[in-house]
Amino acid sequence: MTFTANGLSAVRSGRTILHPTDVTLKPGERVGLVGASGSGKSTLGHALVDGLRGAGTAVAHVPQSPDEALDPLRSMAYHWREAEIALGLAPDASRRTHLFEALQIGHGDMRKRPWGWSRGMQQRFVIAMALIGTPGVLVMDEPTSALDPVVAAGTMDLLEDYLAGRQTALVLITHDLGLAARRVSRLMVMDAGRIVEDAPTTRFLAAPATRAAKALCAHRNWLQLPC
Amino acid sequence: MLKVEGISVRRGGTPVLHDVSLALAPGATLAVVGESGAGKSTLIGAILGLIRCAAGQVTWTDAPAPKCRPALVMQEPRAAFNPHLSLRRSVMEPLAKQASAGDLNRLYRLCDGLELHPDLLDRRPNQVSIGQAQRMGILRALIAKSPLVLFDEPLSALDAATQKHTARLISDMQGQEGFAALIVTHDLGYAAAFADHIAVLRAGRIEEYSAARAFVEAPQTAYGRTLRDAAFSLGALERVA
Repeated sequence: MTFTANGLSAVRSGRTILHPTDVTLKPGERVGLVGASGSGKSTLGHALVDGLRGAGTAVAHVPQSPDEALDPLRSMAYHWREAEIALGLAPDASRRTHLFEALQIGHGDMRKRPWGWSRGMQQRFVIAMALIGTPGVLVMDEPTSALDPVVAAGTMDLLEDYLAGRQTALVLITHDLGLAARRVSRLMVMDAGRIVEDAPTTRFLAAPATRAAKALCAHRNWLQLPC
Repeated sequence: MLKVEGISVRRGGTPVLHDVSLALAPGATLAVVGESGAGKSTLIGAILGLIRCAAGQVTWTDAPAPKCRPALVMQEPRAAFNPHLSLRRSVMEPLAKQASAGDLNRLYRLCDGLELHPDLLDRRPNQVSIGQAQRMGILRALIAKSPLVLFDEPLSALDAATQKHTARLISDMQGQEGFAALIVTHDLGYAAAFADHIAVLRAGRIEEYSAARAFVEAPQTAYGRTLRDAAFSLGALERVA
């Protein structure tokens, strides 16, 4: 079984910002969608969410900043219940405890509003909300760029541990190839609204073919240190 | 030479900086790294004299002129400019007088060094790319020849490739112009690649201070190791055989 969305495209102000694109994902696959600012990554991410949902796949989307997902006037408990209702699920304390333990936010006060939690905890809460319905595909758009490096690395590690052995496919959208390269097994490179390369990570890093991919590879880290 | 000696800053009774001392030699680069809330931006405010210190002092020995102030490059490139003014007007503002032919020559030479087409100067901040806007911010910081430039998270709004390109341009301009740079960043990779020294700021205190390369190879504190390991985990630093 695979997850497929065909003919994804987008036009803004009469200009094509996403050319017709087909995406196929395998269950449990870890895919990085990388490219420079303005290359169309987020647009494809949104189109992919819509396309897959249209095809009947359960898809969850985690935005760049928790501010986009959380209402500052509502409690965390309200957000959680709202997410359950949206998925048609009955309240389940054990499911919540399990996800909160996995993402290490069990100590968070659910009566508080988002700003009563730290940024890192807010983002992990959003990720936990995304995982409530055990989605087939999890699309994350720059999930760590609003976080401090230590918190960002910890969040990615917790997510990776949670997803290990599960069937949920992960699409990680980022401008940072260095971040994606360590976390995904397949890389898709966007440039000017098109996927210009789609290859296993190791093959891609060894031999990027296009100009956009070479630029990403050349700038994937700041400094290389000997082992 | 910039000397920060034992400064403490309190906000609403809470200490934000505690006994912070730093020194920055002419032409050198110091990166101050730390997490949100560590006091990095407060440190910049204190050096600029915008935030009053409860104790300690910031001195600037061998300043070329008594009124010469450090220049600042801000984090959000577009928000750093008045949206209603042309970039040319904002960039020339630090000169505070009618631009002479020499100033214009300097402006175009700096534009060239920062890979900015002079035509962009006649646009407004929202009419250039974010990377170009940040290079305009750097241009404005350099125009008045301040020997000390403070960078507050100068790259965090840019994408990975633009970050590296901009960092290279800042470094090249530093070689050409000779200013000292104090860079506040949460990105240890950037600090390690471009600074001479790294100071780790944590909860308002300097936790560790060492040469940049020595720091990433062998941090001396547990927190320094945590920062370094996160940089590896996020791919900012990489180990190669």
